Amino acid sequence: MTRCLEADSATFAYEDGLDVFTNVCASVHSGHVTGIVGPNGSGKSTLLRVLCGLLKPQAGHVMLDRKRLSSFSSLERARALAFLPQAVVPIFSLSVFEVVCLGRYPHLGPLRGLRPHDRHVAERCLHDTETVSLRQRDFMTLSGGERQRVLLASILAQEPDVLLLDEPTSALDIHHQVEIFALLRRLARNGYGIAVVTHDLDHAAHFCDTLVLLAPGKGVIASGLPETVLTESLLTTAYAAPIRVAEHPVTGAPLIWAETPEEGNEC
Amino acid sequence: MLTRARVLLVFALIVVSLGLAAASLMIGTETVSVHQAWADWRAGMTRYESPSLSILINQRLPRTLAALIAGAGLALVGCGFQALLRNPLATPYTLGVATAGSLGAYIAFVFELGGAFRVLGFSAVEASALLFAWADMTVIYLLASRRARLSPFVLLLAGVTLSMLASSGIMLMRYFASPDRLVMMERWLMGGVDIVGYEAVVALAIGVTPCLLILLAQGGKLDQLGFGHELAAGRGVNVPRLQAVTFLVGSLTTALIVSKVGPIGFVGLIVPHAVRTVTGSRHRVLMPVSLVAGGGFLCFCDIVARKALPGETPIGIVTALLGGPFFLYLLTRRHFTDWQA
Repeated sequence: MTRCLEADSATFAYEDGLDVFTNVCASVHSGHVTGIVGPNGSGKSTLLRVLCGLLKPQAGHVMLDRKRLSSFSSLERARALAFLPQAVVPIFSLSVFEVVCLGRYPHLGPLRGLRPHDRHVAERCLHDTETVSLRQRDFMTLSGGERQRVLLASILAQEPDVLLLDEPTSALDIHHQVEIFALLRRLARNGYGIAVVTHDLDHAAHFCDTLVLLAPGKGVIASGLPETVLTESLLTTAYAAPIRVAEHPVTGAPLIWAETPEEGNEC
Repeated sequence: MLTRARVLLVFALIVVSLGLAAASLMIGTETVSVHQAWADWRAGMTRYESPSLSILINQRLPRTLAALIAGAGLALVGCGFQALLRNPLATPYTLGVATAGSLGAYIAFVFELGGAFRVLGFSAVEASALLFAWADMTVIYLLASRRARLSPFVLLLAGVTLSMLASSGIMLMRYFASPDRLVMMERWLMGGVDIVGYEAVVALAIGVTPCLLILLAQGGKLDQLGFGHELAAGRGVNVPRLQAVTFLVGSLTTALIVSKVGPIGFVGLIVPHAVRTVTGSRHRVLMPVSLVAGGGFLCFCDIVARKALPGETPIGIVTALLGGPFFLYLLTRRHFTDWQA
């Protein structure tokens, strides 16, 4: 089923009165990876939480297929949208399979017992994230990259249509970062709608179909294809610092770096 | 997942716990022959005619039931609090519920309310302990939950502070108390399941059973909370409600138990950890097994208190003597390396 999750002129502010963003429009479509980028404090993570219904916008709406997200029950919502926060640290040791089965929560009956169908779905999610071989391992003993893939499997077990991920690669080395992004792209090709918050503009340029660029206090200042969003003028505005963009010599995607102050001051 | 070996271990744990409960019926300071009691009962004697039956029914059975209920409740609340606060040391005891309950009891002792009234099977001392213990936990909860979610850090600080306040209240009461009252107060502090007759046990069971059922029903949600409140909320768990229910119902359970059997420590702390090494961390298995094992553990401690140590040692001393070293043993096993807030 093709789904569309969109924030319609959403405004959100935390209790202390600071506006995080006003009048933001952003959307996530089935089959697409949407990257949410911008400097620290621009409200990327907050936007993600508003999109998945964990934070309620003070003004505007979040719509899932033209229905207000607030009209869904929390379990209905969890069956449509899955959210993976940054840095998930469990306190109990569980096997990988048990961790993936936890994702079945929104589908369980009142006694919360797993049925054969639930185990079947969990197996499929292990397969989709290439974690079948980790099945019996203790989650605590996994490497960072393995953990992230298992956590992805566990939110896939919710059988959602849209995945919302907060910096899923922030603690990973470059190889595992690419591995996760490639996996996200593959999942999108299989029909998932994906929104991912990331600080890595190069990966965002390479792996995302569309980008949303946020600036502190300004909300969304650009959205669209990576080539149209990742321009020197837009990035320099967003980050309030000189940002340079070139073409990657091999992939042809935008290649982004920040100028150090010394370089910028040369005459 | 539960492997076959684990299922066997769980089964063994349950059998041993129930066996300990049965043993605590037969073992005590008086030697009672169960055969004699059985024969007397078959012969149509009532508990007023047969000494064996009298001890068994009027003293042993209520005592065993009290130990079972108290142990089960404390262990289950321990499971809930450890998951809720993401801390291996978290129990209502850590937050000072026992100190507040003791202050309540002491106030009732000092003002000589002992025989003043009985409400719903609670004496004045017990009612006062219950009131103070639960009020203490409710205040801690309100302090820590001003924002939408519960802050374990504020909980702990509020708990420690209120606990110190209650301690100085206790000092004050001790200062005013007459020497004979002081002895009663000291004894209360050591805990005891030496309950005679059924009024207290029935009152305890009626209060605690619904609480335990409510806590058991939170198991699936507590599993989710183990991976952080945001992932749980994303999966549709109402985290603030889960925290409120687990905290307040768990506190009420503990307050009820403390009011009836005194501050018996360490049960809620060590039983969940010990059971977790056998069952794994899924609360749907961990909680019911902890419930049974907690009851069995307290029955065992009561047997030790009556038989292994001279005289009739207060059970609170036994749980601490057995529980403390066991907890240290768990620490050396690197059992807690998983826990990080």
